[in-house]
Amino acid sequence: MIDKFRNKFVEESLDNIHDLEEALFLLENDMDDKEIIERIFRAMHSLKGGGAMFGFNDLSEFTHHLETIFDLVRNDKLTIDNNIISLTFESIDHIKHLLDIGDITEEGDRLHQNQFIKRVQAAANSDSQTVTAQEEQISEIAPEKEIPSSQVYLIDFLPNEDILRNGTNPLYLLDDLHAMGQAKVISFIQNVPTLKDFDPINNYCHWQILLNTEDSINDIKDVFIFVEDECTLNINPVGKGNILELKDVQELITESQKNQVALTVESLNKFSAKREEIAPQESKAVNASTPTPKKTQQKEHKISSIRVASTKIDELVNLVSEMVTIQAQLHLYAENDGKPGILQLAESIQKLSRQLRDNAFEISLIPLQSELMRFQRLVRDLSNELNKEVDFVIEGGDIELDKNIIEHLTDPLLHIIRNSMDHGIETPEERVANGKPANGTINFKAYYSGASVIIKVTDNGKGIDSEYVRKKAISKGLIDENAELSKKEIFDLVFLSGFSTKEVVSDVSGRGVGMDVVKKKIGEIRGEVTLDSEIGVGTTTTLELPMTLSIIDGLLIKVAGNQYVIPISSIEKIHALDNSIKFTKNFNNVVTIEDRQYPYINLRNSFNEDEPDSKTGEEQIILIKYEEKLVALLVDQVVGEYQTVVKALGRFLKGQDNISGASIMGDGSISLVIDTNRLIHNELAKKYQKE
Amino acid sequence: MAKTVLIVDDSESIREVVNFTLQNEGYDVLVGVDGEDALQFLDGRTIDIVITDLHMPNLDGLGLIRKIREIDAYKHIPILFLTTESQAAKKMEAKQAGATGWIIKPFVPAKLLSAITRVLR
Repeated sequence: MIDKFRNKFVEESLDNIHDLEEALFLLENDMDDKEIIERIFRAMHSLKGGGAMFGFNDLSEFTHHLETIFDLVRNDKLTIDNNIISLTFESIDHIKHLLDIGDITEEGDRLHQNQFIKRVQAAANSDSQTVTAQEEQISEIAPEKEIPSSQVYLIDFLPNEDILRNGTNPLYLLDDLHAMGQAKVISFIQNVPTLKDFDPINNYCHWQILLNTEDSINDIKDVFIFVEDECTLNINPVGKGNILELKDVQELITESQKNQVALTVESLNKFSAKREEIAPQESKAVNASTPTPKKTQQKEHKISSIRVASTKIDELVNLVSEMVTIQAQLHLYAENDGKPGILQLAESIQKLSRQLRDNAFEISLIPLQSELMRFQRLVRDLSNELNKEVDFVIEGGDIELDKNIIEHLTDPLLHIIRNSMDHGIETPEERVANGKPANGTINFKAYYSGASVIIKVTDNGKGIDSEYVRKKAISKGLIDENAELSKKEIFDLVFLSGFSTKEVVSDVSGRGVGMDVVKKKIGEIRGEVTLDSEIGVGTTTTLELPMTLSIIDGLLIKVAGNQYVIPISSIEKIHALDNSIKFTKNFNNVVTIEDRQYPYINLRNSFNEDEPDSKTGEEQIILIKYEEKLVALLVDQVVGEYQTVVKALGRFLKGQDNISGASIMGDGSISLVIDTNRLIHNELAKKYQKE
Repeated sequence: MAKTVLIVDDSESIREVVNFTLQNEGYDVLVGVDGEDALQFLDGRTIDIVITDLHMPNLDGLGLIRKIREIDAYKHIPILFLTTESQAAKKMEAKQAGATGWIIKPFVPAKLLSAITRVLR
């Protein structure tokens, strides 16, 4: 039955691990923050407790040792330092691994685990003078369990007369002892008064128990912990081995019961079971001192959400997409039919499906935060590896994106950050020599802009020389040496395949993966990536991403009889083609609308269609947002606004750069979704490229 | 009549295991995600037993036990807490706060049920 909950535990543990990492980063900045330590402890505690419950015993054991460190810390017996934090980070990786593999089966893993535990134990004991007797006992529980050796204990249990009044039934405690091993109980009833004096709510009995158990003396004390102040209790190890099996001892017990004479430790100590086992452990007094509990003041997010498998959400979004398509069909039918009743219905359904679409879409959004930990970790690890000191500053971690987009985003962002760490940020010496603070900064900033999300990764490193990039592009034959390019256009060259600014491929970045791959990956999710840099000041990489992939509000247009969809989010304005609009054709195509000039692209040219013999009068100019400017697209006809479900083109048409997907229209026909950013970029780039 | 059990734990998987086990045995189960969340159930309704974790955000197990004991209607109901073996001192503290007994983690369903029947009798 437990297996059913295993997956749940794994998911939950990933959350706990995430929380652990986050808290650890916070702790690194403020090593004395009790609340954070409490949070870390709690996360570890959940991992440990759950691990043992759900069959992750090695994980549980490992976390136990790790938890010990933080238990010492929260009880002021150990102070946090960088070593502990680094060790904990490493441990987190190990825990992740254990969560992945379950219990260890391979020899190598076992070895690693044991060595790791030793390191963790060493860290916990580094402050050994301050470790009190109590902690020693706690840490000894584990080793005692590892060597199963049984020991017989003589337990004198003399409850007070009023013990029954507190609702305690002493016989249940005897039951508990029986559960711990082999037990013999001697009951002493000589104190039971005559019926005249007998009060049924009083207890008049006491017991002696001989218990053979593998558990420690503390475990036995635990049984009595609730009645400790309502009884007299003595627990002593007696004899060697399981003396309960000896006939002499059994006779002694029978006699003791019969004569109501208590057994003594001395009388039992002379016995030794033949099968000599490990010498009995010293009995230790239980130190019942209670550390004051650290009450957590920190208000955490109340769990007001439920966990749903991501496949279910994908399915929901899919179904909603289908419904949006059907709804479009209905809308078309209603319009043709023209009956007011059905028109009204169609409109209501359109409104509802729009709300449903927005809701379903919102559900599939997850905050960026979930991935940021990896970046933070990367910066931390690389800082150590490269001997650079870098602060990673995050803004807008709560920005939400479609989970499919976030999944696509991780690798490119890791690459970008790696680049900044490797090529951008200088060594502390270099920085100081250039009058900069020794610590470099990588700023990660995310924010909404219209229907897009912008992510900017900015480093304050040495920057990129645009002239160097230009020359390099010329030498690689990517541009003509006479091409006049703006700074922005030059930096765009970095994303062309076959371009890598670093001659020597370093270990950290540039493992043959260039910025062109970043561009391609971001392009796959209909995003754009741009670069800006200033020498000596730093480099900014900007990603512009759509918030969702599946459903968009689109404008349906026609070019040479074919239907296309342009995402509404990228459209600024639509102009009818009248006399006020002037086209200029010199070295660039420019259109003048309301006294302003825009570069223009005739979509007939882009899609290799012939020019029409005559104008129909329905041609329109659509102004599209492209980077910081507007670009005009000339189309044959604007049909109208539609909600469209974007479907992937399939692998045969994957090479279609300017098209991001296809959409099935209400009447069953297909229209292609134009990726305006790509289209404009490609069209404008044409003029720089050598023929 | 079915007995009502209030379980309080910040770990979803533990909650589910306990919930599943108890419901299978015919208990009515109330579930709190932490101490503070559990307080909402202490509104005078009949609760026969409380099972709570100790380490929880917002209001921890000890705090919850103390709060429960402050309410007349729940002064004498059995409260069991879930714990790991390494916390002898915690157990003592929980007892002082008013707990009746404990269940050691990890536990198998049978152990959980026997602990409950034992205090419910």
